[in-house]
Amino acid sequence: MHDKLMAELMPPDSGRCNYFFLYDGSKVTGEGDPTREGICYFYPEETPLDRQELLCSQFAGVGRCVSELSSSPVRTLRLRHNKFAIRMKDDFLWALGCSVEVPTVSVCELLDQLINLFCFYNGSVRQSYQLNSQETLAARWARYLSYLQSGSSEMCHIFSCLKTIDSTNVDPLLLLKAALILQACQRCPLVLAGCILFRGRVVSTQMSPELTMKVMVHESETYTKGQRINGPSTSSSFDGAVSSTTVFLTMSELQYLQAAPVDKDFSSHSTPSKNAPPKKTRLSRTLSDTPSTESEPSYPSSSQSPQKASLSPHLSESDTSVSSPTPSQSTADSLNPSPQWLRPPLSNGKHSHEAEEEALDQSYYHSFHNNGDGGSQIHSEGDSSVFGENSHLNGDAACGTVFDFRGTDSENERSHEDKMVAGDSRGCCGTDQGPKAEMKDPSHLPSVFDNLEESPFIGMTLYMHRVKGLVLALLVEPHFLSDAASMEEVYHSSLASLNGLEAHLRTISPGAPGAPGPYMFAHFDCIQSTLTTNLSGRPGGAPEHPFVRATSLLHSHFCNTETLQEAIIRSASAAVYGTRSVAQETYFQQHGGSLRNSGIPNHQDSAFSLPSKARHRLLKHGVNLL
Amino acid sequence: MKCLLIASESAEVLFHWTDLEFQQNIQEQYGASQEEGQGLPAFEDMISTQFAPIIISSSTLVDRQGDSYTSFTTESNHVYVLHQFDECLYIAVNGDGEEKEDDLRRKIYVMKKMIEVLFGMVTLSGALLKRELRPQDTEQRARLWKHLQSLLETYSHLRENDQSFLVEAVERLIHPTLCEQCIEFLERRLVQQLNSSVERAGEEVLHAFILVHTKLLAFYSSRNASTLTTSDLLALIIMAQNMYPSNVDLDDPSPEDVESTSGSGPESFYTPEPSPTDRDSSDSEKPVRGSTPVFEFVDPDVQMAEDSLQTLEVSPPDPSAPRRVFLEVSLKDGLYPMMPHSMYCLPLWPGISLVLLTKISTSAVAMSVYKFLEAFAKLEKRLNEGQGSAAARGQLTIHDVRGKLDRFIKALGQSEIQSAHLQQVWTDFKNQAFTKSGSGFTRDLIPWCKKMKTQLCGVYRQCFLTDSGSSDSPRRLSPALQERAQTMVQDKLLDWKDFLLVKSKRNITMVSYLEDFPGLVHFICVDRSTGQMIAPSLSITERTTSELGKGPVAQYIKSKVWAMVNTTRRYLQKGYSTVTLRDGDFYFCYFLWFENETGYKLEAGDIPVLPDDSAPIGMLAWDYYKKLLRYYSKNHQGEAVKCYELLTIHLGVIPTDIILQHCRQLATKLWEPSRNPLL
Repeated sequence: MHDKLMAELMPPDSGRCNYFFLYDGSKVTGEGDPTREGICYFYPEETPLDRQELLCSQFAGVGRCVSELSSSPVRTLRLRHNKFAIRMKDDFLWALGCSVEVPTVSVCELLDQLINLFCFYNGSVRQSYQLNSQETLAARWARYLSYLQSGSSEMCHIFSCLKTIDSTNVDPLLLLKAALILQACQRCPLVLAGCILFRGRVVSTQMSPELTMKVMVHESETYTKGQRINGPSTSSSFDGAVSSTTVFLTMSELQYLQAAPVDKDFSSHSTPSKNAPPKKTRLSRTLSDTPSTESEPSYPSSSQSPQKASLSPHLSESDTSVSSPTPSQSTADSLNPSPQWLRPPLSNGKHSHEAEEEALDQSYYHSFHNNGDGGSQIHSEGDSSVFGENSHLNGDAACGTVFDFRGTDSENERSHEDKMVAGDSRGCCGTDQGPKAEMKDPSHLPSVFDNLEESPFIGMTLYMHRVKGLVLALLVEPHFLSDAASMEEVYHSSLASLNGLEAHLRTISPGAPGAPGPYMFAHFDCIQSTLTTNLSGRPGGAPEHPFVRATSLLHSHFCNTETLQEAIIRSASAAVYGTRSVAQETYFQQHGGSLRNSGIPNHQDSAFSLPSKARHRLLKHGVNLL
Repeated sequence: MKCLLIASESAEVLFHWTDLEFQQNIQEQYGASQEEGQGLPAFEDMISTQFAPIIISSSTLVDRQGDSYTSFTTESNHVYVLHQFDECLYIAVNGDGEEKEDDLRRKIYVMKKMIEVLFGMVTLSGALLKRELRPQDTEQRARLWKHLQSLLETYSHLRENDQSFLVEAVERLIHPTLCEQCIEFLERRLVQQLNSSVERAGEEVLHAFILVHTKLLAFYSSRNASTLTTSDLLALIIMAQNMYPSNVDLDDPSPEDVESTSGSGPESFYTPEPSPTDRDSSDSEKPVRGSTPVFEFVDPDVQMAEDSLQTLEVSPPDPSAPRRVFLEVSLKDGLYPMMPHSMYCLPLWPGISLVLLTKISTSAVAMSVYKFLEAFAKLEKRLNEGQGSAAARGQLTIHDVRGKLDRFIKALGQSEIQSAHLQQVWTDFKNQAFTKSGSGFTRDLIPWCKKMKTQLCGVYRQCFLTDSGSSDSPRRLSPALQERAQTMVQDKLLDWKDFLLVKSKRNITMVSYLEDFPGLVHFICVDRSTGQMIAPSLSITERTTSELGKGPVAQYIKSKVWAMVNTTRRYLQKGYSTVTLRDGDFYFCYFLWFENETGYKLEAGDIPVLPDDSAPIGMLAWDYYKKLLRYYSKNHQGEAVKCYELLTIHLGVIPTDIILQHCRQLATKLWEPSRNPLL
């Protein structure tokens, strides 16, 4: 992982994206309408206009034709030299073109990320183009695109991963501290969730990887602008270290944030869940995930708010199908105080502390956001709990697109309690988060209904408090900004800790890259979107190329074949082993050894010992393949 | 939801095939966009309208971007694959998830292969091929398309059900004694007798083989014949299956089946171009040809002497008429693709047929035409690269060609073949190229090269796609001779007939391997140098139980085998010659390796990495392995290199060590001469 730092220092390679454009077909309806009218943004911007027009018009035409023939929008479009991910919605057509080497799944993922990023900061695309000039928005697309492409090694073309700090060099207590800062902020009921970033890398986050990534874009922007305050909705009341901007969450994102287990408030602080299968707790791989004892002090203060129960939004959202009679009462009273949700930070995937964690695992922590593992557990547990059990996995389930309630807290008593409270709250002031947010801050842009996601966007505010390289980013209710008391509280309660954390993190040397070792590996945690690898990430690293190529192929294969568990593939230059579980994908190649072989089946062939070698070698990187 | 479409750049449909679902889809789409009350037009027009934007966009992109579409996918997982071969755009669509992108691309290439087998070098001229694929006469067009559609369906059926078409290699019946006897019989008795008969009308039997369903019982090539490539052999098997479909789904043909198929002719009958029955009438029309445009478009470049297009009287399908097929011939002086042959497919019993391939008397013309075509193509290429003078000088050929072509045209003049247009264009070409007033060897000559190629293809077409034999003595083995051949082989195999039919379903079975290889579920072994494969039978029918059991389990394993072959091809395409996968409850292995003739295992070499849209890996449409062997042999000069593939499926619970040992044993044993003498 330390090598990732190096990767960042390298000049970015040509990037994975060759073309990107957004074309608005509604502007070009008549025969005489020039195609250029419809081009909202085209990358690379220096592309000659006639070429831009050619691609836009041809893709739009073919896209429409194919969509009609198949009664379904086009998803990918391949040329001999480029492959394009396509998104068609209403009259808009997005196309993102990469070299044919990049796996198709990755191209599609990149385009979705890009569009989602845009929507996160601008809301509905159609409305953005009504409210803003094309140039302004073009600059934004360019910015998002360059962010997504920045510092990407070849591996990052394959996996979209979050950049995290190198946990192997960081004192776990610092991670814990970061997590605590986030939790402390949540004492303010207007704070939804947050993350702490250091020099563009995640230290701790309470949000899903996707959301964290989006937040990081703004951070990088403010960072590169030398802490210059930026954005239309900046509040400068706090010595310029604090900034904010409006962001838009989708319903599912909001639900996910709200789905964090409120029940923790009611849980007796020290009861570790005896029912929770030990494996479950292993989802938490970091210290920052297991600070239950330390975080307890926050509970009383938070639970003192009588309304907080009313908020139990995760239940009201996620359980509507089963239990809520009033799933979406938009008649929420504006008096309804803002909810506060406590949710634990999302670890940023430090796999190397497992040993220590095992002990800590005992002090069970209720809400891992590692949804994937949760997913597997959900299955293995047999889903018999229809409602409200094992609620600490709730967030996990919610993180996926399937928003169900199966997941689970294993403490029945607790969950019953929750259920009651949740039910009550719904009964008395059942609220739907979307409308509520809308109502609470009339000054704010109303939630925008964007057809892209078939669901409204809900305006929220991204609050950032920068302390040199360190940034505390919080998603807050829009009226947080007008609530001076809350802002003061959040600011002052975290300031000292942030300073301290920054001072510590700053002193940490990047850590000399360890000896590369006689092997290469890449380990992708699908849940936290983190990549661990010992590749240098140097673009064009010739010796690594065969490994990257094999990884790319295997990753595509894993994505397309659900039942595939492991694979060994060998070419003349490399034998690569790949294995995956629900939560992770691991790729391994051993250097040296005699690749001389005839290709005929031979059980003494070194290629077939790769699985056991990988198991042994990767243990010290915190990758457990057993 | 399946479709395959061939279109010209101007969005004219040259061929289409759709399944019912797709057809309905098109009709609905079209209906929706039409006003009420109007009757639906011909399906051909509908499909053309629906696909026109794609086709036109595709050619726009080629023109202006120098790139072309290779595939689309939609959110509902419909897949479109596009491929441009010269002037024809092929589009294959799947909307039911049964075919992946690779399958569609393969289908496109197979379709192209079948068209080449049927039309030979006419495919080298876009303009001529377009007219050939889309005859002006609607009846003729319908007949041609029906024939092509049924070939495509036959292929698809085999591809989905027959392991030898899955891996694209020929499967032989494993019965050494009988095979040997049959080969001897074909050689000593049959071919000898046929070739010494006067009734052969100038034709010479080059290859003779006996098919039991799709499996080869015996194959004999006469001494002066070149080898029949696996690609061609597989294509011929498809054609034979198309003529006499074997009801593979029924294990024991019931008496009615026998009744209905025995002795009955082909279900759809097609000869590339029915022979003009009335020579005089066509001759008499010649003078007025120029004034009566017979084509939809009359491209002056394409104008040439044609006599067959007017003669559309449909001769009743003549069961004794051979199919004209164009196959690759390799001679000492080089490789000649698409040389004309006649194919006689003689049914012996339902499921068993004898196929004879003959060389026709005029095939020397084809070789000359090919050489000239090649020379002009090379010249054009050099001119394009801007090496005009080099093109003229550097080529031993162009002056050489000049003399030869002069003589060739002169010789044609004496035959029945109309070569006036060719002569005209050649004269113009010479004026351009060789005189001072002409442009000489510059880019300006390129259009003339193209015209020459078109004219040459036209001559070729006249010679081989229309039956140029005079009507009273068609050049073919006489019906009586064919019948004699049929009877001879029937007599020979009478006692074996039932055995063969069963054997073809149970060629080898897993049972015999279970004891030595516990946990082995299935395997396929292919010798790519000879294009032959061996695999336990996987017949899954309602009535019988295979070793894999019956119903869903067997079906599941079959689907796994099919998927596995696709997967390993994808890896092979990217240069991976060893693949092992743990997938669900199974463990899959795939190995490709090289040996020299003595069986010594050669070191694994680099395998080229191909782009995603490259030709499908296989032997039927495009012989990947031939190219691979050539590539690999570069480092093994003077050594005959052989290439093998092994694919195994084991139960996942078997330790990998054991699995690999099994693979090794299979790899070494399967091709041991003692075991399968004929492989």
